[in-house]
This record gives sequence, C-alpha cells and structure tokens, in this order.
Amino acid sequence: MKIVIANGKHEADFIINMFKGQNKDLVVINSDKNFADYIVRSSKVPVFVGEPYKRFVLEDSGTRDADIFIALGEKDTDNYAACMLAKKEFNVKKCICTVTNPKNVDTFRKLGIDSIISSTYLLANSIKTASSLEDVIQTLSIEEDKIVLTEIIINPTYKIANQKIMDINFPKNATISCIYREPHVIIPNGSTIILPKDKLVVISTPVEQEKVVKFIQTTK
Amino acid sequence: MRNKVLIIGCGRLGANIAALASEKGQNVLVIDRNENAFDRLPESFAGYKINGDATDLSLLEEAYIRTAKEVVIATGDDNVNLFLAHVACVIFEVPSIYVRLDDPERGSLLNGLKIKAIYPFELSINKFNLMKGEDL
Repeated sequence: MKIVIANGKHEADFIINMFKGQNKDLVVINSDKNFADYIVRSSKVPVFVGEPYKRFVLEDSGTRDADIFIALGEKDTDNYAACMLAKKEFNVKKCICTVTNPKNVDTFRKLGIDSIISSTYLLANSIKTASSLEDVIQTLSIEEDKIVLTEIIINPTYKIANQKIMDINFPKNATISCIYREPHVIIPNGSTIILPKDKLVVISTPVEQEKVVKFIQTTK
Repeated sequence: MRNKVLIIGCGRLGANIAALASEKGQNVLVIDRNENAFDRLPESFAGYKINGDATDLSLLEEAYIRTAKEVVIATGDDNVNLFLAHVACVIFEVPSIYVRLDDPERGSLLNGLKIKAIYPFELSINKFNLMKGEDL
C-alpha cells in the first residue's frame, strides 16, 4: 500500500511514525525545508521538499498510483489543489484533505474530494451527540453521518435485561451488531439472551438513534 | 435573472475589469479581503464593494453569485483562484467564468469544465516572440 503524506507539521510526524515499518510504502512531501530535515533525522524516512500542488513535485516524489493521499497543509485551498491534482492526474485512489474552516467540509465534498477532516467540525459533532444523549452512551458516526454506532451498557432495571433478542421487538432500521460481555465479544442471534452489564453495540440510522436508546433504556 | 458581474480580487486586473464593466453600465460587485484594494477603483465606479474572504461560500451568496451571469476570478493566489473557479462552476453554475492563473500548469485542472483561463505568463511570452519576430 502506498501512502502519500503532503505537508503538515506535528500531525504529519505522528502519521509517519504510525505507518513507518508497517510494510507500507510511504511518500513524504513537505514544503518546509527545516521541517523536512527534522523528519529525516527523527523518523529516518526520505522527504521530498516541494509544494504538493505542483505537478513536478508529485511526479518526482513518486505519488503516481498511490492508494491514499493525505493533504495536511495549513491553507485549505492549497490542500484542495494538491488533492485535485493527485486525484485527476496521478491516479491516486483516495484523497484525504484536512481543512481549518469547517464550512469547507461540505464544499470540498461537493467538488469531489473523497474525505475531508476538520477538527472543529468533528468537535462540533461530538458536542452535538454528547449533549443529546446521556453520558453512559458513546456514539460514533460513520459514512458521512449516514450510520451511527451506539454503545449502551445494560442496567438490570431495563425491561430487555434477561430477555432473548427474538422476544423484545427491537426497533426497525437498527440492529444489535455485537455484545461485549467481559471478556467475550458475542455476535448475537435471535436466541441470545441480553444480560445485565452487557455492552450493546447498536448500528442504526441517525434518525432511529434516539428511538433505539429510549427503547433499550425502558425500565421494568 | 442572472444579470450581475462578480469580480473576485481587486488587484490591478480585477479593478480594471470592474471599472470597465461599470462604465458599460453593468451591475458590478467586487470582492476583496483587503479593504485598501478598493483604492484601485476609479472615482466613477458605480458598483458594490464587498470586503471579505471569497473562499467563504456564504460571502459569495451575499454577493449574489446565484444571480451572476459572469464571474472574473483574479486573486493573487492560484490555488484560491482554482478553487473559486470550481466553486463557481460546479456549485453555483455561473454561465460565464474567467480565471487568472499565474502558473499555466495549474490550468489542466480546468479541463472539461466551462471555465476560461487567462495566463499572464503565456501572454507575455507570446508578445515577446511577436516583437522579436518584428525586429528580425
């Protein structure tokens, strides 16, 4: 697997060290000569010095046919131009673009960037989920918020505790994808009995999430 | 009805295009993030000046991009220009888009889109070759 890491400071450093030595083909591009020297010294990986939105830089660094291209630069529009060039002219399979302005998440997606990451956007979303649900529940959104994973711990007072899944008439558009029961992980079927202290991982649409949580937390 | 001319970037090129369009009686709006840039516009300029960052789509909406018949993009940053050209074309479907790019290489990312590019570098080279030919 070939991964290109374009620009960025400590985040680039972190990602490089995460993938280093994992049998992955890393291509590192950085426009800051001093930072490039630092990466070479500290991580012992070669760094190509240049601006990743220039054609000759992508050409000479060996970006062609990469599986993933990650743009971590400070300017959103520079990251955009680099991702577009990588995607359209260098046959890169997937582009990930970081942005500082959270409004650019939707814009960049509409213009064809595969994946856009904004820390403010993520923060806002986790505040939203945290404030809408009780703190015993953890949620995770995947596939651009079309699917949510919800983790709920079963309290003995809940109506569904000690019942078989087939008997509880679980809401539609949601499934219990797995049950974590110390120390095992159970992939449930209809005859699985839900026990107190089980951690249920439920997969659902965002619309159904609240309904599912209410259903599970109904007490006897 | 699409009847407005939107100029993004009030540098020498943007300001002059804006002045010309205003002189011809067009409904002109100029955006620049630096307020002093508007000093380049002549006294007679009758259009609107909007101070702000055009890469923020809500500002473009405030500048009536949805009713623009023509957008001229001439900021000093090629990547900003490229991005804005894509935004004007793909998101706001402006019928007529002109963009200035200093680096002719960047132009390949406009292929297949209804965007017209102006390359000052190529114009200078062409002019040079022309003058050189005349001198021979």
